[in-house]
Amino acid sequence: QESEITGTVTDNNNLPLPGVNVVIKNTSTGTQTDFDGNYSITAQQGDILVFSYVGLKTTEYTVSNNTTIDVVLEADSSELDEVVITALGIKREKKSLGYATQEVDGSAVSDVPTTNFANALSGKVAGLRINPSGTMGGSTNTVIRGNSSLTGNNQALYVIDGTPIDNSNNNTSTQMSGGGGYDYGNAATDINPEDIESINVLKGAAATALYGARASNGVIIIETKKGKKNTDIGVTISSTLMATSVNKKTLPIYQKEYGAGYGPYYDSDDGYFNLADIDGDGIPDKTTPFTEDASFGAAFDGQPIYQWNSIYPQLDTYQQATPWEAAENDPNTIWEGGTTAINSVALSGGTDKSTYRMSFTNFLQDGNLPNSEIKRNTLKFSGSHEFTDKLEVSSNISYTKTDGKGRYGTGYDSNNIMQQFRQWWQVNVDIEEQKQAYLATGENITWNPNGPSNLSPIYSDNPYWTFYENFETDTRNRYFGNVNLNYELNDIFSVLGRFTFDTYDELREERNNVGSAGVSGYSRYNNRTSEYNYDIILNVNKDLSDDLNLDGNLGWNLRRNGYSSILASTNGGLAIPGLYALTNTISPLEAPDEYDATKMLYGVYARASLGFLDTYYLEGTLRRDKSSTLPTDNNVFYYPSVSTSILLSNIVDTDWLSFAKLRANYAEVGNDTDPYRLVNTYNVSLPFNSSGNASNPSTLNNPDLKPERSKNYELGLEANFLNNRLGFDVSYYNNRTEDQITPVPTSDATGYSARILNAGTIENKGIEVLFRANPIKTKDFSWDLSVNWSRNRSEVVELTEGIENLELASLQGGVSINAAPGEAYGAIRGSDYVYNSEGRKIVGDNGYYLISDTNNEIIGNIQPDWIGGVQNSLSYKNISMSFLIDVQQGGDIFSLDTWYGFATGLYDRTVGTNELGNPIRNAVTGGTDSGGIILPGVTEGGAENTTRASFNTYANPYGYARDANKGHIYDASYVKLREVSLTYNFTEKALEKTFITNASISLIGRNLWIIHKNIPYSDPEAGLSSGNIQGYQSGAYPSFREIGASLRLNF
Amino acid sequence: DDQFDNLNTDPKNPQEVSADFLFTSSTQALGDQMASPNVNLNIFRFISQYWTATTYLDEPNYNLVNRGIPSNQWAILYQNVLLDLENAKTNVQEGLVVSEGALSQEDIDARIAQINVLQALTWQVLIDTFGDVPYETALQGADNPLPAYSDAETIYEDLINTLIDADDALANGDGFSSSDVIYGGDMTNWRKFSNSLLLRLAMRISDSNPALSQDAANTAIDNGVFTSNSDNALIYYESSPPNTNPLWEDLVQSGRSDYVTANTIVDKLNDLNDPRRTYYFDDNVSTGYIGGIYGASNSYSSYTHVGEVFLDPAHEGILLDYAEVEFYLAEAAQRGYASASDAETHYNNAITASITYWGGSDSDANTYIAQSDVAYDSANWKESIGTQFWIAMYDNPYQGWSVWRKFDAPAFNLPEDTGNPVPLRYTYPVTEQNLNPTNYNAAAAAIGGDTQQTALFWDVN
Repeated sequence: QESEITGTVTDNNNLPLPGVNVVIKNTSTGTQTDFDGNYSITAQQGDILVFSYVGLKTTEYTVSNNTTIDVVLEADSSELDEVVITALGIKREKKSLGYATQEVDGSAVSDVPTTNFANALSGKVAGLRINPSGTMGGSTNTVIRGNSSLTGNNQALYVIDGTPIDNSNNNTSTQMSGGGGYDYGNAATDINPEDIESINVLKGAAATALYGARASNGVIIIETKKGKKNTDIGVTISSTLMATSVNKKTLPIYQKEYGAGYGPYYDSDDGYFNLADIDGDGIPDKTTPFTEDASFGAAFDGQPIYQWNSIYPQLDTYQQATPWEAAENDPNTIWEGGTTAINSVALSGGTDKSTYRMSFTNFLQDGNLPNSEIKRNTLKFSGSHEFTDKLEVSSNISYTKTDGKGRYGTGYDSNNIMQQFRQWWQVNVDIEEQKQAYLATGENITWNPNGPSNLSPIYSDNPYWTFYENFETDTRNRYFGNVNLNYELNDIFSVLGRFTFDTYDELREERNNVGSAGVSGYSRYNNRTSEYNYDIILNVNKDLSDDLNLDGNLGWNLRRNGYSSILASTNGGLAIPGLYALTNTISPLEAPDEYDATKMLYGVYARASLGFLDTYYLEGTLRRDKSSTLPTDNNVFYYPSVSTSILLSNIVDTDWLSFAKLRANYAEVGNDTDPYRLVNTYNVSLPFNSSGNASNPSTLNNPDLKPERSKNYELGLEANFLNNRLGFDVSYYNNRTEDQITPVPTSDATGYSARILNAGTIENKGIEVLFRANPIKTKDFSWDLSVNWSRNRSEVVELTEGIENLELASLQGGVSINAAPGEAYGAIRGSDYVYNSEGRKIVGDNGYYLISDTNNEIIGNIQPDWIGGVQNSLSYKNISMSFLIDVQQGGDIFSLDTWYGFATGLYDRTVGTNELGNPIRNAVTGGTDSGGIILPGVTEGGAENTTRASFNTYANPYGYARDANKGHIYDASYVKLREVSLTYNFTEKALEKTFITNASISLIGRNLWIIHKNIPYSDPEAGLSSGNIQGYQSGAYPSFREIGASLRLNF
Repeated sequence: DDQFDNLNTDPKNPQEVSADFLFTSSTQALGDQMASPNVNLNIFRFISQYWTATTYLDEPNYNLVNRGIPSNQWAILYQNVLLDLENAKTNVQEGLVVSEGALSQEDIDARIAQINVLQALTWQVLIDTFGDVPYETALQGADNPLPAYSDAETIYEDLINTLIDADDALANGDGFSSSDVIYGGDMTNWRKFSNSLLLRLAMRISDSNPALSQDAANTAIDNGVFTSNSDNALIYYESSPPNTNPLWEDLVQSGRSDYVTANTIVDKLNDLNDPRRTYYFDDNVSTGYIGGIYGASNSYSSYTHVGEVFLDPAHEGILLDYAEVEFYLAEAAQRGYASASDAETHYNNAITASITYWGGSDSDANTYIAQSDVAYDSANWKESIGTQFWIAMYDNPYQGWSVWRKFDAPAFNLPEDTGNPVPLRYTYPVTEQNLNPTNYNAAAAAIGGDTQQTALFWDVN
């Protein structure tokens, strides 16, 4: 029987609540309370009314024969009782924590999936800076609160279900400093986003102190999805397909006016062409200067020229001249459409004693260049079982197999096609013709041969030869997981025994076929990495009185890390083309490089937390570590932390304040170092003339090392207002790391180029702000906004005495990345212009800028001013939409690409007209017909410069020959539309007659739009590799837009 | 703790090696650095204007900073040569040698003398590159992280004394043998090598310190210097990597076309109808030998390439040869040093030694010398010796540069692209400016400014 039900909804302060949703359960019938909290709705006896309001507990009432139902909605204390996973897997009430953490839901990294899940955290966590390097499957730099180590590892530690995961980047040091090689990614890419339930980012030392030495860079704690008790078997299927395409805004813009050459240096009368008899008539013909990988040659005029395609007898165009004109297809047309497909299926469920979940995910990425792909299969099992009331055993085991092929070459190397496309290129070369030439012949028909009589490549290979002949392959088998035994001794004490393991084997094979520029060869690198942890933790939780709670742990940890690798290469080239085996070597093999190390660390730790009146919390931790990498008389180190939090909202009773917490902490963390840094050993190499051969290494080790130490304090305030519809979280931190163990460069006259020392202090301080709002919340429509902003200031406070600068990397182009006292970490040094007292550039008598005598000038810094992100989530009925804008302000990049490319004249900036209206590439004449440019600046005498600088050869004022490094420093700021997703959830009604319980379909996009950037021709995020060497682009790859759809089904 | 200690002991690399291993390694490192044409390591073949570049013109135009060339020269010689030799010395004294039974004191002294000879050669190269360098305070690792620079002339005197002392030690004991990749332990040759090096040092200071020059040269000559090409101090490279001549790596293995011969030497040899052209140069240009324009962009196919003999991976590297010694004897005789007589004979011997070393015959040499442009002109002896000495040092380009600085002959070209003057020295490494600034500044002031145009102490006339 239907009747009109009415009533008033109030909060627990007896104030009426307007806008409360009142819905009859399992129907779409509903209403809202009016301004005075009144409502009326027609319902039947037995119907259930659901009252819901943001920030308050949703409450249900069953309609009986009363027609008046007044409701009091209690504050939703989920915020107060929220439990988060902290260091060592210890579950804590968030309110009791005296340090900053930020949780991210698993969906944040799986809704719009990426190859490397860390990339999906970009812009979502305050204080976390993510830098992908830009190649398919490449590594990602993950740094929390700035670099705290001068030369060591600064990457955040990943911990999955309590298992620390190795995230090393095993790229060669050559690769990381721009010398060429492949970016094989860092090992955290093996984490499967589909399995992630939640992520908690522990930022400061107080949060991570229990992890000991290794967690000084912050920890990203990941909990994976598990089965739930007492649920039937459930199946989840999800499928995502994404199409990727190149973002043209991150590619060079080529000039179309002048062809091959460095200037008028060649055989023909005008100096722009070489002469050789190509067509066989005995008369010399004009040919392109084949060896010249630049575009400072003759203006395109359509005259017939014998170009690269005329000198290969294998081609139809042999002995034929072609018109001198810009290529129809420039290198930007080489990019293909790529795809990423992720399919996963998961089974989960549980009985009253056990839970289980098993999942399989297949990831397949087809790159944007030919013959490139990454495949990854992940199998994961999680289970738990209560053997008795007191004993529970649980385990998580993952197996991942990753296969890569045709990863993109990086850095200054001929296997990086971007080296030719961005630095050394003839714009008369048609890339499509190069493709056809390779496909038709299967040979390295390059545009850049030695000459008509020697067709072998001089510098650059045909790019398609590179793709199909000189590709790498790699495979990695990884197992990680844990076994946990939890025994409840009584209500107060429990003991956890845990074994965790993470091991992987990796094989990398690199090839250079016979016929490539340089020496052909094959190399294989095998490496095995392992980590085992044995933990025993005693947990205590006791209410000491009604108001006082004690919560604590006592733990013991043994960690063993193993690394071994072997690298073997053919010597002197391949004897048989296309056979990639170590036996196929021209000269006898050199001895392979071997490395073998084990590191052991033994730690004991204690933690105690006191909670008083559920309002005041005090926590202390103490850990003692003993490391095998330090001298035996100095290998034990202790470090404490203390933190406190006060729930202000329990003290101040106001309506508008839903929750407020003040927190403060101080922590110290010690750190050890890498193996083998105490005693020097010799480098033994192959005998010379049958005589044994050994030499001293270039770094002098140090038997007197002591542990590093970092001191960290942090203050924070967190508050929610208006029934939790508005909230913020602010932290200030200061982290000072002293006695850093680092190789310190030293005068080579000492016999060594570096010494390992306890040297240097670096300080990072910063502010993190997180702001949340729920501006609109109605029955059908809601809008959530989350903004994070962080600013880190690093300062290298001091280095050891006598050391005025610590060079982190010396890079091609004459620039270096440095730690210099008084500067932020990552100062870029190089040549600068010379300025007068007013700061204006001085131009020399010849019309070119004067350049500083040395390459020591500080011309930039890799650190951004601030980073931030804005996430908007909108939902209307069954449709939800979210988008993320990711921002970086500041930071500098040196571009080797324009450094060379402006000299070789391939960019649009190297053509055009001067203020007289003449092409700048015309000769400087002194008359009105003059080419060249007048550089803005003053003469040494102080007058405005009027001398015209010549612009008709590679030695023009913009390129490496005449410009300062400073001219190629760009601002790395960006604003990006990072992620967009639009999801439709099928209604229960639609699914009623199917076996499906939940279904959703989404349209998703990543990296769709670079809203703003200041660096031309490239993506400001592109770099070499993860690690400390950032702010440098050489043969940078463009960025890729990803657009796709995903489907999720539960049944 | 034992377990922790063991974990931190590298199982793959030794904490101790015998002196022999270090002796071989440093000899090879020295030979490599002197022979290498790699533009990242040195510009000896450019600066002596034997070769020039095709496309990348910074180095032949004497831009040393771009590729950090002074740093590399400095680091390789200090670290890979001098430190390993110093370490070998210690190991010899501690008995860490490849030997059946303990060494006699004579054998220890002989080995140390061999090390001293190679060190003296290396120190001289360092000084002739830079001027004042860290010497007494160098190579002490953590004990002296900021080494002070010593006066170049004083170091020269010390080296001269060391070499004078070496002669007896080399005569009286057995030195390194199987690990001696120069002479295989032939101590007679080592004595000649040591004395020839002494002669080189002595003649270098003939203008700046005539008295010491004369004394030292006489001692060297009296004790016995090289008397034929079979005495030459050479590095015998192997035919397969990694122990090949670095020339092969950059000319052949790299597959690049970076170098052509320079017009400076090609024009000179053409003028003189020099029989060494067949060996020094390739005949790839049909119209004759045409050197690339020094310091300009040069089309690889249009200019004369380096001779075929240099493309052999096992091509010998030269540390010091007989021709060089005869030129010193010619200069000594010309200057009236007691132990040398008849400058012209020595001059002719030197030219003949060079021509026959490269494959020419005695009669080729005689015909050549008979030309009026070649014949010794005692009135313009600096021009005669300078020119022929320079031609003979084609494959020892570091000496070629020194000859030019010493004799101011022959006339060099200015590099086409920039017109920069020929450096009289390398500027100090940028790393020294950064890492050892106080001592660097003192040294720069002491030598008269850290520029390429600051003349060395012996470069006075």
